[in-house]
Amino acid sequence: MSITSITRRRSRSNRERKRYSPGEIAAMVVLAVLVLVVSFPVLYAFLNSFRTYSEITTEPMGMPTSFKFDNYVRLFQDTQYGEAVGNTLIITVTTCLLLVAIVPMAAYGIERIGGRASTALYLLFIAGLMIPFQVRMIPLVKAMNEVGLYSTLTSVILVHLGGAASFGILLYCSFIKGVPLEVEEAAHMDGAGRLRTFWSIVFPMLLPVTSAFIIIQALGLWNDFFIPLVFLDSTSAGTINVAINRMVGLLTSQWELIYTGTILALVPSVIIFAAFQRYFVKGMSIGAVKG
Amino acid sequence: MNDDSDTPASGSAPVAIADPSPARRTGHLRVRSTRRDSVPPGARTGSRRFRRHRAAMFGFVVPALVVYLAMVIAPSMQSVQLSLTDWNGVKDTYNYIGLANYQDILSSGRFWNAVRNTLVLGIGSAVIINVISLVVALLLDRLHHWQGFFRTVAYLPALVSGFIAATIWKYILNYNFGAVNSTLRDLGLPSWAQDWLGNSDLVVWVLLFILCFTLGGNTTLIYLANLQSVPQELVEAARIDGASGRKVFRYVTWPMLAGAVTVNLTLAMIAGWTVFDQVMVLTSGGPGFISETMAFFIYKVGFGEYRAGYGSAAAVVLFVVVMLSTVLANRYMRSREIQA
Repeated sequence: MSITSITRRRSRSNRERKRYSPGEIAAMVVLAVLVLVVSFPVLYAFLNSFRTYSEITTEPMGMPTSFKFDNYVRLFQDTQYGEAVGNTLIITVTTCLLLVAIVPMAAYGIERIGGRASTALYLLFIAGLMIPFQVRMIPLVKAMNEVGLYSTLTSVILVHLGGAASFGILLYCSFIKGVPLEVEEAAHMDGAGRLRTFWSIVFPMLLPVTSAFIIIQALGLWNDFFIPLVFLDSTSAGTINVAINRMVGLLTSQWELIYTGTILALVPSVIIFAAFQRYFVKGMSIGAVKG
Repeated sequence: MNDDSDTPASGSAPVAIADPSPARRTGHLRVRSTRRDSVPPGARTGSRRFRRHRAAMFGFVVPALVVYLAMVIAPSMQSVQLSLTDWNGVKDTYNYIGLANYQDILSSGRFWNAVRNTLVLGIGSAVIINVISLVVALLLDRLHHWQGFFRTVAYLPALVSGFIAATIWKYILNYNFGAVNSTLRDLGLPSWAQDWLGNSDLVVWVLLFILCFTLGGNTTLIYLANLQSVPQELVEAARIDGASGRKVFRYVTWPMLAGAVTVNLTLAMIAGWTVFDQVMVLTSGGPGFISETMAFFIYKVGFGEYRAGYGSAAAVVLFVVVMLSTVLANRYMRSREIQA
């Protein structure tokens, strides 16, 4: 069943039932309570980002007395947070661009090669879904050291590229199966080269998957902690999460700055989600809906 | 990858299988004669064009394939090699010591403790998060007003990464100054205040709680999308036949969700096997080694204790576990789908 027909059914039932039934109101209340409960840690961190260290430790459940941005300013002045934000941005944007440059093309190639080669390549890529990062971590650190890339952003980007390829191939292949061959054929007959056919005819048709893929990857890259932790040592400012983790000292944690850092780290995720929400929900539905 | 010489694409004409030289000739002719047909390239147009087409298509795959082989497949293989050595992770040289690392691991209480924790945290969180997500999706599916708004709001907590959530919880659960203990003390229950992350009987369950403290995010979206694709006619027919709400769910909705359950549980399990961020941030595996997971064990042994060979062996064990559980779980759940 296609997405349009689902929404059509929904909107029809919307018109049929204008009234709020008791069950529906109860569902709304339960959902609102659940969301509030689950958001508690973030709300708590947000409120505490406006308090000083002594306020937080003497009265943990207290409210901020004023909404001054001292902690936010100090975070950028006293720590490497600013540089870390830059690093995280570079990693996220570069990895996403490179993924879009190579993964859709590869999925297209896999689908169009045909025959056993098609299946073999597909399975080879999909197998990567079952290889956790920990399995390839130690040799990768060794290799990055050998080629002199250790503790560079390049190493983090490369490792991410390999890890994301499997998921990307899975996503794109299931979608490309539905793209009709006739259109490509026509373009090809008109003398367009294969690369041009792909980028000007096929790629635009893949836009729904591409947006979903980018959003999922961008959020994952922005939030990742393990890979930069392993590949960036103290010569680099690290990513946001690594920088926050370094502020966690054994005895001297700067709680007010850590709370502030966590809140700032969320802002881009919320913006990405708010801007692309529609594509996001649609993207999650692609391939997830059976039948 | 080398089998593109004489393997026809599924559904292609026997031309491609025939003796190469005449096939090539006829193929050449056919390219012209079938120009206007809308057959896929290579399907009926003869082997030379077919081969050229395949070579070009393979060219499309090469960039991603190179990165993938270099960053995923090759290092995974090398893990197997390193697992047979006593490499310390720093020196240039190492000796092959056979399966000694595996023997050490399998007889190490610390490793089995990490396995137990991974099972509790991985499978426990996979099941609990799926239950929560399904409940949230069912609630969302009941809404006829404001559904989009509530869907967005219910997704928002998922934007908080495991790392960020764990970092905040670390301070909420602090023994002296944390919000939880100070609230308990204010309520006159000082004896309930615990060293939540330092108590070896509690710590794994606290970790499980924090892992499950979510509304599911993507999992919820997948369930919701599937719920909305359940044909309304089936539900109505069951209703007319007098089925209660619970029975409709049990006999109509639930079987229709089988595919989504497979996808979600598999994804959650793969994530669960590799729980790391929360452990690293909240406990660093402590107290002692009590709260280590397999992922953390590999990291700690490989980089913190300079036993890279030993860590590689643990990584290989982790891979075998992930692969077996994914394949078996998928097979089991797929069989359930067919019955449904």
